[in-house]
Amino acid sequence: MRIEQHPILEFKRGKVVTFFYNGKEITAYEGETIAAALYASGIYTFSYSKKLNRPRGIFCAIGHCSSCLMEVDGVANVRTCVTLVKEGMKVKSQNMDVTKHGQY
Amino acid sequence: MDNIENVELIVVGGGPAGLSAALAASDYGIKVVLAEEREFLGGQLIKQTHRFFGSEKEYAGTRGIDILKRLIEDVKNREDIKILASSRVLGIYEDNVVTILNNNKMKKYIPQAIILATGASEKFLAFENNDLPGVFGAGAVQTLMNVYGVLPAKKILMVGSGNIGLIVSYQLLQAGVSVAAVIEAAPKIGGYSVHASKLKRLGIPILTSHTIKKAVGNKKVEGAIICELDNNWQEIKDTEEFIECDAICLSVGLTPLIDLLKQRKVKTVYVSELGGYIPLRDENMETSIMNLFVAGDVSGIEEATAAMIEGQISGLTVAKRINKNQKEEIQRKIEEAKKELVLLRSGPVGEKIRKGLSKIGLNHGENYDESILKEEFDISYLMKTGVPSKENLESKFPKDKKIFDKGPIAISECFQKFPCDPCVKSCPFNAISENGNINNIPYVDFEKCTGCRICVSKCPGLAMFVVHKNYTETSSLITMPYEFLPRPKKGELVNVYDRDGKIICEGKVIKILDSSFQDKTAAVSVEVPKEHFLEARNFKVRYLKHE
Ligand code: SF4
Ligand code: SF4
Ligand code: FES
Repeated sequence: MRIEQHPILEFKRGKVVTFFYNGKEITAYEGETIAAALYASGIYTFSYSKKLNRPRGIFCAIGHCSSCLMEVDGVANVRTCVTLVKEGMKVKSQNMDVTKHGQY
Repeated sequence: MDNIENVELIVVGGGPAGLSAALAASDYGIKVVLAEEREFLGGQLIKQTHRFFGSEKEYAGTRGIDILKRLIEDVKNREDIKILASSRVLGIYEDNVVTILNNNKMKKYIPQAIILATGASEKFLAFENNDLPGVFGAGAVQTLMNVYGVLPAKKILMVGSGNIGLIVSYQLLQAGVSVAAVIEAAPKIGGYSVHASKLKRLGIPILTSHTIKKAVGNKKVEGAIICELDNNWQEIKDTEEFIECDAICLSVGLTPLIDLLKQRKVKTVYVSELGGYIPLRDENMETSIMNLFVAGDVSGIEEATAAMIEGQISGLTVAKRINKNQKEEIQRKIEEAKKELVLLRSGPVGEKIRKGLSKIGLNHGENYDESILKEEFDISYLMKTGVPSKENLESKFPKDKKIFDKGPIAISECFQKFPCDPCVKSCPFNAISENGNINNIPYVDFEKCTGCRICVSKCPGLAMFVVHKNYTETSSLITMPYEFLPRPKKGELVNVYDRDGKIICEGKVIKILDSSFQDKTAAVSVEVPKEHFLEARNFKVRYLKHE
C-alpha cells in the first residue's frame, strides 16, 4: 500500500524497478529500500528467528536492530531497511524452516 | 603513513546536530569532513512533517522537512565541508586515527577534532509476542510513511504518549491510517498538551494508566491486548481489553547511541532523565577526551532545536581552538548560543533535562525567575485527558464576555509552559505576548486583535482559533487550522466537533485560506449555530475518500 496523496508531503517516485523476493517478482521504485518496497507489496515477514523460527519484520527501519536481515544476491545478513533496491536483485528470507512455513 | 589523511574536523552524523556543527565550524574557515551512514543527510529531520516549537531564531514554526532543506542546501554550498555519505565510522582509536568505510573502501583520517552527533536509537518494550511483524518503533513508522510514502498499516495502536507518540499518531491520521488509541502507562500524558489536544479533537482516545500485555496474531499483528494499571503500575484485574489493529507502534523513549564513544573510552554515566548512558561533557560539549565533542541526542535525549544549538556550540568551540583569528567574535557567538539553550530549557518541561544535566555537573536555570519554573494553571486534567478544563479555558477567554461581541477575536488554547513563540512573532498587530520568556503562556490582547487569522496557520501546536461570535443573528464563525485531505470546499457542509472529539453540530464552510502563506496549514472558517461558539474546535469533511 502506497500513499498517493498527502496533505503535507509530495512523493517523487523514481523509475520502476523489479526485483525478486523468494522468487516472486516485486515492483518497486528506484531510490527506495528493499524493506520499504517489500512492505508496500504486502510482504511483512522478512526472515525467521534462528532458534524458534518465528517470523521477523521491520522494527527500526534505520539499520539499528537487525530484524530485517535477508539474503541479497547471495550475501547473507543484509539490512534490507537501509539497502536500496536494484533491478533484478534476488532477495531471500533467511532461516526459513520449510517444514513449518512451506516451500518457496 | 601516506594513506592517512590529516583533516581539521570530522563530524559524525548528518542529522540536525551534525549539520549545525559542520556549518558553525565552517563559518570560521574550518575544513570539515562530514560522515553520514545513510546515503542522504538529515537524520530524523527527514520524517518530521510537523512544525517545530522553540524560538523563531532556531526555525520555530517551520516544518522539520523544510528546516532540513535549508541546512542541507547550506552545507552543500560550502567548499569547506566534504560530505561523505553512505559512510560508516568504524573506529576511533587512541592514536587519534578515525576509520571510515565508504563505498567498501576503508579510509583513514587523523583529525584535529571530532564531533560525534550519532543520535539515538529507540527503546524496546517487553510484552508477549513483541517480535511479531507489525510491531514497530515509532521512527520506523515515520520512515515508511514520510520518507518512502508507504502506508505502515490500516489501523494502529500507539504505545507511549511522549511527543513522538503524539506527533506520529497525528502524522498517521494525515496519511490516512486510523489510530485505535494512544496508550500511556504513566498516569499522565508525556508530551506537550497541544499535541494531545490535536488528537483529542480528532476523536482519538488517549488512555493514561494503560499498558500493552500482548500482541495478538499469527504471522503478523492482528490486534493487541491492553490493560489498566493502578498507581503502583500494577495491572488492575479484569481490565483486559482486545484492540483490533494491524500494527503496534512503540514510542517508549530513546537512548543515546554511544558505541563510538565507548570505543574511545569516553567516560559515560547513567542518567535516566537523559535516556540512559550519556557521555560526561562540559558546557562546550567536550567529552572527557580532549578535542572529542558530542552534540544532539548522543549527549542526552532532547528536542531537535536543542540538538541544533548544541551542534553550533561544539562547532564554534572547535573553530575557536583551531582558528587563529576572530576568537572574540567566536566566543561571543558561543555565549549567545549557550544563553539560547538555557532559555529553551528554563520552563517546567525543561525540568527533567535540567535535573539530568545537573547530575553530570552542568547547571541550568538556577538564575531563573521562580515563576517561570512553575506551571501557571492547574493542568492536571488537561494532562490526563488532552482536554483543557473549564477553568483553563476561562483563563484564556476574555474576562468581559462582551468582547466577543466586538467582532472576530483570536483565542489561544495553549495552557502549558513550554518553549514556543511563533504565535507571538506571527501577529502583525502585536496582539499576542508571552512576557519575555518563550516558555511563558501567550495571551491575546483583545483590544489589539483584528481577527486577521494569521496566527491560526502559524501556531505549530494548532492551538490558535479565531472566533466571531455574532457572524449573523443566529450563527458564529469559527476559524480553525486544518491539515488534512481532502480540503473542504466553500459552501460545503461539514461535521463539527468539540475539544473532546465529539460531534456537536453541522457547519458550513465559509472561507478557506490555503495559499503558500499558510504553508499547508489551512485556516478554515466554518459557520456554526451560535450556541456552539465556545465549543466548536474541529471539523471533518464528510467524504473522507480522496477525490
Ligand atoms: S487574529 Fe491576527 S491580530 Fe488577532 S492575534 Fe491572530 S494574528 Fe494577531
Ligand atoms: S499558541 Fe503560541 S506558544 Fe502555544 S503552541 Fe501555538 S505558537 Fe506555540
Ligand atoms: S529494521 Fe532494524 S535494522 Fe532493519
